Amino acid sequence: MDARGARLGHQNLGLGVGLRSVHFDHILRTTPDVDWFEIISENYIDSGGRPRYVLQQLAERYAIVMHGVSLSIGSNDPVDRDYLKKLKVLAREVNARWISDHLCWTGVLGRNTHDLLPVPFTEQTLRHVVERIRIVQDVLERPFVLENPSSYVTFTGSTMEEHEFISRMAEEADCGLLLDVNNVYVSSFNHDLDPEVFIRALPHERIVQFHLAGHSNYVTHLIDTHDGHVIDPVWDLYRLAHQLTGGVSTLLEWDAKIPPFPVLHDEVLKAKRFMSENLPAEPEGETEEADLVAAASSPMSPIPHPLHHIRPEVE
Amino acid sequence: MKPEDSDTGPPLDVVQQWFQAVVTHPEGVAAGSAAGEAQRLIRLDRGELETVVRRSRNLTAEERLSIYANAYWARLLECLGDCFPVLKKALGEEVFDSFGFEYLQRYPSRSYTLDRLGESFPRFLDETRPPDADWPDFLVDLARLELTLAKVFDGPGVEGQTLLRPDDLDGIAPERFAAARLVPVVCLRLLVSRFPVNAYYTAARAEENAEDGAGKESELPIPEPGEELVAILRRDFVVRRYTVSRPQHALLSALLDRVPVGEALAAAAAASDLGDDELAAALRAWFRFWTAEGFFHRLDA
Repeated sequence: MDARGARLGHQNLGLGVGLRSVHFDHILRTTPDVDWFEIISENYIDSGGRPRYVLQQLAERYAIVMHGVSLSIGSNDPVDRDYLKKLKVLAREVNARWISDHLCWTGVLGRNTHDLLPVPFTEQTLRHVVERIRIVQDVLERPFVLENPSSYVTFTGSTMEEHEFISRMAEEADCGLLLDVNNVYVSSFNHDLDPEVFIRALPHERIVQFHLAGHSNYVTHLIDTHDGHVIDPVWDLYRLAHQLTGGVSTLLEWDAKIPPFPVLHDEVLKAKRFMSENLPAEPEGETEEADLVAAASSPMSPIPHPLHHIRPEVE
Repeated sequence: MKPEDSDTGPPLDVVQQWFQAVVTHPEGVAAGSAAGEAQRLIRLDRGELETVVRRSRNLTAEERLSIYANAYWARLLECLGDCFPVLKKALGEEVFDSFGFEYLQRYPSRSYTLDRLGESFPRFLDETRPPDADWPDFLVDLARLELTLAKVFDGPGVEGQTLLRPDDLDGIAPERFAAARLVPVVCLRLLVSRFPVNAYYTAARAEENAEDGAGKESELPIPEPGEELVAILRRDFVVRRYTVSRPQHALLSALLDRVPVGEALAAAAAASDLGDDELAAALRAWFRFWTAEGFFHRLDA
């Protein structure tokens, strides 16, 4: 265990949910008994309107974590320092407990694909990412955490597995990890790997947060659509991760076909079943089959999430 | 940046430029990997994608890359439609997406935020309009209206600040008022449209909110051409729209240019057919209404 102890010494915030604008009114009206909220940073860093105002109100009552999708830590383009400064300003304003993003790149040559694109796991990439994490940490002056994204390809030129890359990255850059349990499941399925091996191999004391989400099953591959319930095999991985880490802040993401807030909240509260030693052998949950049917009947193009855009309110 | 000795694949910058060129190619992964941009970076013959990207048990390298390619267009088209919901409904999803598909090729996102994805869409619609037709003005103006509404919604505002109230203008000597500068709120915008797009927007919203109206293609006809002047601002975090007359527009426009009130009044008079007394009465009513609605921040002497 690291000298700083579990979670790099960061607080276990409990069970939180991703803040989405469709729930603003409900949350302000009912002040639900949620432990904490995670925001999509890009939805708020430039806001001069209601989204930022609502966030400021919530930050007075709830713990806030900032989760970004545009840092592009793996990109060969220069680090966007203006973007980092905006993150820093907002983090100070809402007392963000930490700031996270993904081990990915979103574009090069000045473009942004707005997708979480995969990096080849090589020594060169490792050196590049570690160097950029240090820059980010220097600017932000706040705990920085990176998440394993869902991925749909692996590169022939990779010289190590993702879990080895992430472990070495976290140690060398001295950063925290956001373990997205659903992403481990999705990527492992897509790359014919064992998700348990991935989770067991990580430096558990560096994991400061978990993500949970639903995905879509296209039989030949899974897509991280964040549009449904967490399925049983992902809960099983969560149980394992919980045991290995001793428990860390846990957050449910739901970004498409977003249900009413109580449904979202109930979903993350299911995590309590996996935190106790006296667990039922087979807890109730969504089955892989149910997820499969839902995906096959969906007319929508599968869009990996998070997709982040807030609709204006116009009279 | 050079790869380490143990790395055997192409360097990171080459991989990323190649990957981006392939998954954002408008004709898909096979065409993208065969196109000049990708070939200059990593030369591959047909069927050689797996020298860069591994296949899985179930999918070929091309099929795996296509997940990213499909998601790129689907995500950005969905978001663009979210930025212009009324325009999308007016055009229908298929036509809107075909415009959007071309737009995203000409103006790919270069921002960290999707909020700016549609910023050049009105300009694109104008640049690609067919000649000798006026209906594209409707599309351009409706897109401009929706873009303005989004910017006002999340841009700077005056919530929590003290604004000028109707009574604040009472009792000010005419000479002093004429020499002063009436400062509009920071979120006030004026639009001049060649079609009544604001009225169309209102009707489309009503159609969307009607029973069974949500998500359906609009049955509203494109309106006849006709000038429409609109003032837009945000109050209590909600965007408000006001149709204004030509003299009202001239007055507000002059005030936004920060000229003294006297000059702004002269601009209104020049745009008005009213007699002096009628105009004076109208001006008093306008200022009373506008101050009640939160149009002005303060009066600078």
